[in-house]
Amino acid sequence: MSLSKLVLRSMKKNMKHYYLYFFALIFSVTLYFSFVTLQYNAEVWEAVQISGTATAGFKAATYILYFIVLFFVLYANHLFMKRRSKEVGLYQLIGMTKGLIVRLLAIENILLFVGAVIVGMLAGFFSSRVFAMILLRVLEKEALVTMAFSTQALQQSILVFAVLLIIVLIQMAWMIHRVSLLSLFSAAKQADERVRRFSPLQMVIGFLGLILIGYGYYASTKLFDIEATSNLLVSMLIILATTIGGTFLVFRFSIAFIMNIIRLKKKGHLSVQDVLALTPIMHRMKSNAKSLTLITVLTGVSLGITTLSYIAYYSSEASAYSQVPGDFVLLENNSQAFVEALEQHNIAYGAVDYRLQGVSATVGQLMSEEQKDNPLYTMEGVIYTIPLSDYQQKVPTASLSGNDAILTNYGGYMAEMFPLEKDRDIDVSAGEFKETLHIVDIQEHSLISGIITAGGGGPIFVVTDKMFEHLATQSELYPWHEQTTITLQAESDRAAAEQLYQQTGADILTIVDNEGDTHEYKQSSYEMQRKGNIESLGLTIFITAFLGLAFLMTTGSILYFKQMSEAEEERDSYTILRKIGFAEKDIMKGIYMKQAFNFGVPLVIGLLHSYFAVKSGWFLFGTELTTPLWLAMCCYIALYAIFAVLSVGYYKRVVRESL
Amino acid sequence: MTVLIGRKIKKVYGKKSTAQEVLKGIDVEVNKGEFVGIMGPSGSGKTTLLNVLCSIDFATEGVIEINGQNLRGMKEKALANFRREQLGFIFQDYNLLDTLTVKENILLPLAISKLSKAIAESRVKELTHLLGITEILNKYPNEISGGQKQRTSAARALITNPSLVFADEPTGALDSKSATALLKNLQSINETKEATIMMVTHDAVAASFCTRVLFLKDGLIYSELYKGDKTRQVFFQEIMHTQSVLGGDGYES
Repeated sequence: MSLSKLVLRSMKKNMKHYYLYFFALIFSVTLYFSFVTLQYNAEVWEAVQISGTATAGFKAATYILYFIVLFFVLYANHLFMKRRSKEVGLYQLIGMTKGLIVRLLAIENILLFVGAVIVGMLAGFFSSRVFAMILLRVLEKEALVTMAFSTQALQQSILVFAVLLIIVLIQMAWMIHRVSLLSLFSAAKQADERVRRFSPLQMVIGFLGLILIGYGYYASTKLFDIEATSNLLVSMLIILATTIGGTFLVFRFSIAFIMNIIRLKKKGHLSVQDVLALTPIMHRMKSNAKSLTLITVLTGVSLGITTLSYIAYYSSEASAYSQVPGDFVLLENNSQAFVEALEQHNIAYGAVDYRLQGVSATVGQLMSEEQKDNPLYTMEGVIYTIPLSDYQQKVPTASLSGNDAILTNYGGYMAEMFPLEKDRDIDVSAGEFKETLHIVDIQEHSLISGIITAGGGGPIFVVTDKMFEHLATQSELYPWHEQTTITLQAESDRAAAEQLYQQTGADILTIVDNEGDTHEYKQSSYEMQRKGNIESLGLTIFITAFLGLAFLMTTGSILYFKQMSEAEEERDSYTILRKIGFAEKDIMKGIYMKQAFNFGVPLVIGLLHSYFAVKSGWFLFGTELTTPLWLAMCCYIALYAIFAVLSVGYYKRVVRESL
Repeated sequence: MTVLIGRKIKKVYGKKSTAQEVLKGIDVEVNKGEFVGIMGPSGSGKTTLLNVLCSIDFATEGVIEINGQNLRGMKEKALANFRREQLGFIFQDYNLLDTLTVKENILLPLAISKLSKAIAESRVKELTHLLGITEILNKYPNEISGGQKQRTSAARALITNPSLVFADEPTGALDSKSATALLKNLQSINETKEATIMMVTHDAVAASFCTRVLFLKDGLIYSELYKGDKTRQVFFQEIMHTQSVLGGDGYES
């Protein structure tokens, strides 16, 4: 029989083993090719030009994607080779040299690769259109995506997968050369080495793992505290090292240790769940610790990144609102033309006027002692005040007397990083006036344009009307005096109003300050601001989401593959159990537990990791934490659940076939 | 009292065109307290018969009753419960779970029964004492010898006080010393606890420990030998003689 015939025969026979590996390959090619094709799509390219970093972003993402694919395919190949070790051993036993076997498997691998690349590219070609549509949707662009086959993308993908093929072949050759004939036969048995006793030392190390993670979490909450900022990089590295190291120790020692305690307590009287979930997991922990750690960390990282960029995207509305708190914000006296135009066109709107008066103050006076190293602590800046009666248009229940004041408009990352305290006094001055305000409350409602508060979310004071009039005698010292907030009553009028806003030139402001210098400002409408945010962030979000998905699919698949091979390894146990009288249902009870553990634990620890990672610095990315975090987490949980269900299905089949 | 009744048991493997009749209509009865051996050359259907009798496999035709319960028509789940509660199993390759200790393996059949821990504990004590494996209760299967593994397996088979114990070549993988020790154990358990045992073997020495030996040939019962009051040596000679008449494997001279 010639080599090629042998290859074809063994491939036909091994279809069942191959499909896992083949699927992994196709999936990788699809993901990669669709992403590369996307980059060469004309419509997409046009849409993302606005984000200045498009090219760099795509390039970086391509590298990361390649890394994911590489890791995934190497893992799948490793698993695949392990499964076929018996076959390889048999070839050796009948006198084939290792070189010949390598050649045989190389031919198989090349055939598989070519097949997978062709199928994957077809799938990738179609899915890239879907991804392009999603991207344009995210960017709120309305463009028709045409399907264009890109030779550049083809060349790039072929090159990249050729390199991957060479790496896989090297891995395979190395695996075959490394092992002896004897160990090939017992490769599957090697896992049996896992049955070991548990020593007190493991207990200590296991406990250490928990402490390390705890410390990492604790440190992450303190990451942006003022004392720590001096060496941010070092503390970040420490946090990474402790959490990752801790995760490994937990998987390697703590879990088996805790399970062993539970087991010892039962004194031999185990339930079915213990037999099928507890003991196998416990004994496998040694060989699984590394991969579970990797999967957990990857889950944490990808979920963290996805959440952060989703926070940015989700907050694009809120951050636009803190910059432009109202559909249109008109400053000083350039409102007339726009308001008249609205009335001419019968567009219904509501208007709220705020009188403004600047004062100089040091917000450091409202900070706690701990923040005294903060640059803001001693810095004097201009803060605007509004009279209570104007504030009451928004908050009718508000009341103040004497020198009391409410600090409001204070939100976003400023509020998160530099918390202010109420029930404190602050000295303010305007020209020759000096007053001391007593802050009775701190609010985060956005009221005043970001132009006035020097960036969205800057503080303003609400003071009594008497105090305001008192301060307003110094009005010429500060450039801003009034703001009119226009709110449309019907969403359907928005497009028309937007047009009028630009036509009447209400968006361009020219201000002469007290020193006689002229400043020009552009006051965008809320909608313009929001779209601008989305356009500058949309691509980043899309890319991180894409990578997050890739990570998720690979980690999920790896867990699934692992379970598939564990199921095969445990087939004999199921046979024994069924012979001595356990029904399929009894066995499945244990399997559910096992799956809940296998998918649940990496997921839960990964979620915790990402929660603390996100929590430590989310305010730098946006204004809303809870909803995006929950949505991203639910998405991950749902996808993991799908993999768990698939895995349970596989086990069910194995258990059914086992007798 | 009859524990097991089998009538006209037939077993056909394969589809119509390639059908192969392995059991061709076997009648068998086992009384309480018997230690029955099944012998026969390779391919005579010994293991198939055992599998069919113990409900791991289904008979194509015929009736099997254990303790008055007809196996045919029982659902998968009911059969599993029946196996767990009424039957015990000892296999050639031990079939112990590697991840469980000896004690956990022995208690395995009780994992979903409602038997109290105290009773279970006392049964473990009694059985492990009888089988001489009290010292290794907390060891894992890969830390003990083949003979110890098989005795563990026997203890697991007996922990539920089954009506009937099936043993499929229990000595097949053991050296002669461990094999004899195990068989003596089984014999004494058969005598002291009145356990009914049915054992497939191709080893005449092993068979000589039984109270009755059935000989199978080509899917039919060829002959039957009772030990009666004979010594084991005499019974062994008889078995050897029958085997030589029967032909096939088993010549051990």
